[in-house]
Amino acid sequence: MEEEGAEYDPEWEGGEEGDGGEYVCKYEYLDHTADVQLHSWGSDLKEAFEQCAVGMFGYMTEIETVEPLDTYETEAQADDMENLLYQFLDEWLFAFSAEPFFIARDVKIVEFDRENFRIKSVGYGETFDLSKHPQGTEVKAITYSAMQIHEEVDTNDVYVVLDI
Amino acid sequence: MPENRSYNDELNFLDKIDANTWRIKKGFVPNMKVDGFFYVNDLLEKLMFDELRQHSRAAGFGGFLPAMKQIANVAALPGIVQKSVGLPDVHAGYGFAIGNLAAFDMSNPEAVVSPGGVGFDINCGVRLLRTNLDERDVQPVKDELAQAMFDHIPVGVGSKGVIPMGARDLEEALEMGVDWSLREGYAWAEDKEHCEEYGRMLNADQSAVGSKAKKRGLPQLGTLGAGNHYAEIQVVDEIFDDYASQRMGIDHKGQVVVMIHSGSRGFGHQVATDALVAMEKAMKRDKVLTNDRQLACARIHSPEGQEYLKGMACAANFAWVNRSSMTFLSRQAFAKVFNTTPDDLDMQLIYDVSHNIAKMEEHIVDGKQTTLLVHRKGSTRAFPPHHPLIPVDYQLSGQPVLIGGTMGTCSYVLTGTEKGMEQTFGTTCHGAGRAWSRAKSRRNLDYQEVLDRLAELGISIRVASPKLVMEEAPESYKNVTDVVNTCHAVGISKKAIKLRPIAVIKG
Repeated sequence: MEEEGAEYDPEWEGGEEGDGGEYVCKYEYLDHTADVQLHSWGSDLKEAFEQCAVGMFGYMTEIETVEPLDTYETEAQADDMENLLYQFLDEWLFAFSAEPFFIARDVKIVEFDRENFRIKSVGYGETFDLSKHPQGTEVKAITYSAMQIHEEVDTNDVYVVLDI
Repeated sequence: MPENRSYNDELNFLDKIDANTWRIKKGFVPNMKVDGFFYVNDLLEKLMFDELRQHSRAAGFGGFLPAMKQIANVAALPGIVQKSVGLPDVHAGYGFAIGNLAAFDMSNPEAVVSPGGVGFDINCGVRLLRTNLDERDVQPVKDELAQAMFDHIPVGVGSKGVIPMGARDLEEALEMGVDWSLREGYAWAEDKEHCEEYGRMLNADQSAVGSKAKKRGLPQLGTLGAGNHYAEIQVVDEIFDDYASQRMGIDHKGQVVVMIHSGSRGFGHQVATDALVAMEKAMKRDKVLTNDRQLACARIHSPEGQEYLKGMACAANFAWVNRSSMTFLSRQAFAKVFNTTPDDLDMQLIYDVSHNIAKMEEHIVDGKQTTLLVHRKGSTRAFPPHHPLIPVDYQLSGQPVLIGGTMGTCSYVLTGTEKGMEQTFGTTCHGAGRAWSRAKSRRNLDYQEVLDRLAELGISIRVASPKLVMEEAPESYKNVTDVVNTCHAVGISKKAIKLRPIAVIKG
């Protein structure tokens, strides 16, 4: 989904769920000695993954200062579900760390191929701008430490530790 | 894998050897090939055991492994020699604990190399520059100096390097390390002498590095980074070892020095990440099993192992170029504020140490000289006097070891010892190690209070991210003095100098 004429619109609607257009925040940051553990959840695993990516961006800046002026797409390919979560987040970290230095206000998964462990997703955001976006904490890497993906519960909780 | 053992049952595998040393016996976790050891004092011991107790209690939902378990999991890796060691600043990390040392016999075909034993921030390290300035010269212009450093050195999330570089320059820098900086005029020839590996790992091969890593690395060369990285202007607070200090050009209390703590930024992280992915596949293929997924590893002489070592060397070189660039920028900042030249200020590099690296080294094992791949994650090489790999001017005093303290506390310079060479393959601690989680710090500490306390101590601070101020506050960390004193008591390193910060620049 693209932003035509790129203007900040708080009523912007996301994806097929069309849940009314407000930004949901289904993630939190948990205690971890040296780094941060991201906990996200959702009405399905797809949403939990999406919220995980947004949570990661939220740690690097004040997410409310990011406007959905542009879109960027990433693809992740893996061998199993944990590896997939890892690659999915790593692709977004890479989009931020190198050209186009993209920071997303929201992330939507457009293809979630569970048989072949592939995800295609779109980010709505803009290029990171030091004069506009406050500097939060840099995420150095995604880790497998204490990674958990719980599909068996309605909340589809996902836990991942980010190296800071 | 045995399910949650009770805390008391766990204690059966732990032996207190002396006031500062504990042994972790085989069986604490499955497949241990050697014992584990860790060094502590009373306070640090309490932290270690509290963490173990919490782990025994937890349901495992969202939990993580305590450092003690991690030290033991490393002891289960193929080819490990003698012991898996936790230094006094040990705390839980990815696969290997941070502050975990392990050496592998390179002549053993089973022996492995593990990126987790090096860390994501390959060649995160510390360097110390001296000056001929005294505190009273710097106090009147302290703020101006801190500002100049902050303006010259790019810091924090999203910051980009100011030294012009293209893709070709990057590839050369990856293979040449400090030799590249020297060629470009960013380093002094003497800087090479006072750096591990002379600032260049010779087995670096830029073709072993993926394009993702290069893309992440290019904009970040010459940046400080964020988190616990910093540049500090410090003064000599105490001298414990006159002779060793003099060898380093430090001769009186109040002498001003500059400490830089930084690593290989996104480049190193990507190299580590790419290696973990490749090794996971190789482990499935070769049916290598470890106790923890983050302990992904490969046989040292396998294609994946060799590829990683070459990539790791590139990342190490990147970090040395990075620290050289920041040295250059710091020298410029000082020269500007004092209206003179860095040369006239005698801003020589005392030494540069790595605390996240794997090194091929010769050690005596069971009376025989053996080539080992020594993994030092969150731990520092500390070679004794007369070791052939340390610079001529430190031959009699031993290798300087730089221990960065936490923001606004103190830092130390130590020297390596013979005992350390025997006990820990010439390794000592690297810093303070965290005590509180970042979330706990944010909850319990007030940003303004932390800043006020630093101001009271006479410390100027320039920080890019306010949130980081609480996360990095001294209360969040173990006490570096405790850590350094424990190493000194155990005899694996010797205190030489204590340093006190007067200005802090952070990301």
